[in-house]
Amino acid sequence: MSLSAASHAELDPRLAAPFPKAVLPVLRNPQLRKNVAHAIDVIQAKRGKLVAEKRDWQELRTAASAIRAHALENLGAYLEQFEERCTAAGGTVHWAADAEEARKIILDLLRQQQATEVIKIKTMTSAEIQLNPCLQAAGVDVFETDLAEIILQLGDLEPSHIVVPALHVNRSQVREIFARRMGLKNLSDDPKELTNAARAFLRQKFLSIPTAISGANFLIAETGSVAVVESEGNGRMCLTLPRTMITLAGIEKVLPRFQDMEVMLQLLARSATGERMNPYTSLWTGVTEGDGPQSFHVVLLDNGRSSILGKEKQRQTLKCIRCAACMNTCPVYRQTGGHAYGSVYPGPIGAILTPQLMQMKHAQSLPFASSLCGACYEVCPVKINIPEVLLELRSQVVDQERKQAGRIFDPMYLGLRIANLIFAGAWRFHAAQWFGRMGLKLWTRKDGWIHSLPGVGGKWTQTRDLRGLPDQTFHQWWAKRAAQSRQEGK
Amino acid sequence: MSATAPSRQLILDRISAATQDAAKDAAGRAAAYAALPRGYARRGLLNKEERVELMIERLREYDAEVVESLPTELPAAIEARLATSGRRKFVVPTGVPAEWGAFGFDWKLDHGLITAEVEQAEGVVTAATCGIADSGTIVLHHTAAEGRRILTLLPDWHLCILLASQVVETLPEYFDRCKQPPALVTWISGPSATADIEMTRIKGVHGPRFLHVILVRDESSAETYRSAAHTELRPEKSGSARIR
Repeated sequence: MSLSAASHAELDPRLAAPFPKAVLPVLRNPQLRKNVAHAIDVIQAKRGKLVAEKRDWQELRTAASAIRAHALENLGAYLEQFEERCTAAGGTVHWAADAEEARKIILDLLRQQQATEVIKIKTMTSAEIQLNPCLQAAGVDVFETDLAEIILQLGDLEPSHIVVPALHVNRSQVREIFARRMGLKNLSDDPKELTNAARAFLRQKFLSIPTAISGANFLIAETGSVAVVESEGNGRMCLTLPRTMITLAGIEKVLPRFQDMEVMLQLLARSATGERMNPYTSLWTGVTEGDGPQSFHVVLLDNGRSSILGKEKQRQTLKCIRCAACMNTCPVYRQTGGHAYGSVYPGPIGAILTPQLMQMKHAQSLPFASSLCGACYEVCPVKINIPEVLLELRSQVVDQERKQAGRIFDPMYLGLRIANLIFAGAWRFHAAQWFGRMGLKLWTRKDGWIHSLPGVGGKWTQTRDLRGLPDQTFHQWWAKRAAQSRQEGK
Repeated sequence: MSATAPSRQLILDRISAATQDAAKDAAGRAAAYAALPRGYARRGLLNKEERVELMIERLREYDAEVVESLPTELPAAIEARLATSGRRKFVVPTGVPAEWGAFGFDWKLDHGLITAEVEQAEGVVTAATCGIADSGTIVLHHTAAEGRRILTLLPDWHLCILLASQVVETLPEYFDRCKQPPALVTWISGPSATADIEMTRIKGVHGPRFLHVILVRDESSAETYRSAAHTELRPEKSGSARIR
């Protein structure tokens, strides 16, 4: 069940192709685009209906945004409180400054348990730190238990969405993967039969594997509790049956109090899957005698988050509760699907999160993978102003590029420098206008339109005509008109 | 853990450098928290009867099967549900009232059953802490009458006894009822489901595939109830039409 390293390069920001290049295979794959569009249409329709029936939706968003912002402003204190309460309840809290340290902590814990197998609840954070390949390499067999994750793991595929990671795979592709990997020759492509196959495949794993790894949707500072939001019950299996539970959570996941869940739970399922509430949400506090794992560890992961925290405009990125509403509504994501973003976090939130978690140079095409239409901001349940962060990151990319040596030979850079010079002075601007008009006159036909241009300009006129420039500019016309009226006034 | 201690300090130092704008002491933090905007609806708009009807309607939307019962008729209602389930082996948490006992069934009390024993059970009967009508959610705090988490997880068939007095309309009303934050909570909104294959909703992946609810009319007047026996005859019709 090893996952090839090659397939992982696709979603490793350090190795992935830039967005405009990575997007090409998707745009040329009609089946993939159809699968993505279908899934998104279904979720969007359900979401729209359920959000509309909620009379206090905007008030909930405002509260959620404020709670998350407050938690981030006081993150240090709330994390220490979480650690204290979780420890008091029998849990052990570990701190990981980066991905490597988190992998090492988890691997050491597994070695202490002498674990050779582990069951996992879907967690994007573990994908972020590339935990599975690391565990496999260390001889630990990893079994994903979320249906979508099983499809991806058995099919050796990559996630393309943070809530429904296999939305780009259709039923006949799932049938093929299950038939091949589970040895079920007579499997049909009926989703019910496929789901039952997964149930049977995993049941024994749940009952026999004594160690589980999860992510966390929320950490509660007040109580030291952890909450996991899910649909299938695989989460509950992993949280209840094993002897040892390891939870990997980003440091930003903390909520001040238990009661704050009343806001988050009303927003999350409606935004994510278009349900009033997801089928199962579990909350647990350390270790409960006689119920569930008797050994519980939380690994708090920084991995770039604290550096985002320090930047005023960018901090809001960390408010994210991973509902994926932004990608479901994004006109770019709808066309491209998730893989083109070259990260486990795709869509608008990925376009701002990935460049900030990584060094910018690994993902500098992402802030430009957006039309800035603002749909993501409008649907975001915690009101992250994604366009604002995109613009901030774009300016950083440009600032960085400006400093690069050899930049002055870039035609774009050169053109913009010259434009800057021309626009800076009135006479230079007027002169340029005059030259431009004279030049374009050569190609303007009698009907007043330019039908074809030479050189680079030809790219424009290939698909559309350009109106010829008028004889005088507005400026000239205005000056003339003013002079005339002065004369008449005399 | 000593090995991660340096990272703990490193991360906390990074965070404190990044959040210099925040309130420094606990009092300032509590004041800032108290001032957070909470303009959303806390209270529902429905009366007691409508609230229970909405709960039933929402549960049925999730494919849960719901019948109603009077407190005095509850043991008979439980027995009827078990009889029609086509199952014989049930587990029950130790804290359920003795009068629920349904004779003629293999009814095993959970005095620390091992996983294999729970796995062998075909069904489970439990109480609940709260019902949230707005989302059709049943809340378990895993008290003695609700059982350990494993009990409501492995058996394929879950019969949940929910009292009308436990039903609230909105999620915030549930949180208002929690005087102390509970250590364990499971919020259940319909049987386990997935839509991972082409967004087709499939009922029953890993948790119980069948959720049955007996809604006990413990606080309604005699005129408004419909007894279990009565509802049994027309299980699909009651409830859903009335609310609109």
